[in-house]
Amino acid sequence: MAHKEMTMSSIPIVGRWPLWRGGFAVLLFGMLAACSSTPEAKRSDFRDSYENTNRKIFAFNMGVDSYVLEPVADGYRSNVPDAGRRAIDNHLDWAGLPSTALNSTIQGDLENAALATIHFAINGLTLGFADLTENPGAVEKRDFGQTLARANVPEGDYLMVPLLGAHSGRNLAGRVVDSLTNPLSFFQAGNVGSTMRTAQIPARAVAFRANNFDTINDIKYNSIDSYARTRSLYYQMRAGALRDRQNNDQAPSATDDQFDAFFDEPAK
Amino acid sequence: MICHEKLTSKQLFAFALSFKSARIFLASVMLIWLGSQTSFAGTSQIDDANKLVTQMMVDVESILAQDINDDLARRENVSALFDRYFDLPTIAKFSAGPYWRAADADQKTAYETAIRDVIIGTVVRNFDQLSGLKFTATDSQAKGTQLVLVNGTFTDNKQQQPPIVVGWRVITADNASPRILDVEIENISMLVTQKQENIAIIRKNEGKFSALIDAMNQRSQSNN
Repeated sequence: MAHKEMTMSSIPIVGRWPLWRGGFAVLLFGMLAACSSTPEAKRSDFRDSYENTNRKIFAFNMGVDSYVLEPVADGYRSNVPDAGRRAIDNHLDWAGLPSTALNSTIQGDLENAALATIHFAINGLTLGFADLTENPGAVEKRDFGQTLARANVPEGDYLMVPLLGAHSGRNLAGRVVDSLTNPLSFFQAGNVGSTMRTAQIPARAVAFRANNFDTINDIKYNSIDSYARTRSLYYQMRAGALRDRQNNDQAPSATDDQFDAFFDEPAK
Repeated sequence: MICHEKLTSKQLFAFALSFKSARIFLASVMLIWLGSQTSFAGTSQIDDANKLVTQMMVDVESILAQDINDDLARRENVSALFDRYFDLPTIAKFSAGPYWRAADADQKTAYETAIRDVIIGTVVRNFDQLSGLKFTATDSQAKGTQLVLVNGTFTDNKQQQPPIVVGWRVITADNASPRILDVEIENISMLVTQKQENIAIIRKNEGKFSALIDAMNQRSQSNN
């Protein structure tokens, strides 16, 4: 009986992809470990231990944005009709539903997990391109970074990742885990499903850039320190995502703390 | 002969108990009264903040209705809106972070002008994005004794974009008219973002507050 030689291309994509992602993450951590940390006195934010390296990677990412992402996103906005863009957004949201269901379950939010599962099943009839549910906004996105936060895993350093952008160490690890739950991962190599899954990565980047075109351009071209602004936005966005909006809507946020501290200090 | 009736220990205890009960009753009444006063002040603050935001949105809609895509006219309108509804001195003080205390009077004045220009410039550049959106207040909550957060959503009239959650942080000090301090969009505070960017710039320039003012002025000039 002839044994088929195992090559990278013959490994089912479901097995190969996580390895690639995991290897990428290990490579990134290795790169950062090799970087010397910025002394605290020289940092513009105490959470940013690798600020000098992060700023260089940010400059690289901005270059990629200027030469690739911004023009492509501009063309996408101009040429793809609203309905087509909405279908792509729907599909990308749908692909994230298994991750939401899994993380909601681990976080103990069974209602959100059930909603995510129902939405995934119903919209799966169209591979998520059409939203067939009554209330598309009912599902609250959950990721593994949030799950780790709820388990009191420390946030880790602020990392500017090539092509992927701003992450905390914890959130980057969460992202690797979330990528394993992509529903299209279960298709074999060479299938339409695997091609679609591969296309999701650039599609997600282009759709995000197009949906936030003016905002990102304003940060990029009009802020004095776009790196510092991006870092601030990232931390606030994550803090917002970590608040349990269903149960603790009235609870003080990190922003509230800043204003409380401001009004508590003696006037001068 | 005056007969002094001797109080028995039982009577003394009953007297002490009634006195204690009276004190508890009195304290309870005072607490209820104070509580009602506090909640009354809170309700009044919230009402004032709601009115301010509602009035501002009416003005914004009126400006948008007359907007003819003329940058100069737009800048004038936005400047008037900002001066009428926003608390510039507190915005300046907050956004400078701990470096405000070390700044001298001239620097403070120069910084107030610079931050005003930066904010107005940002709003003018992004004014188009407000077109076709309708603001609806959802709820308001007191944040401490001086702030009220007026929450609401911007919804797209054409229903092509998902609703945007917005919060207006309004200062409602006792003897002053309410003013807006901050805008939060999807949990992101514009003022905190500005503050963290400003602090980063000052720290990169070895703590020089003047470096921030220069950088802001240069940016405003290049954007105009």
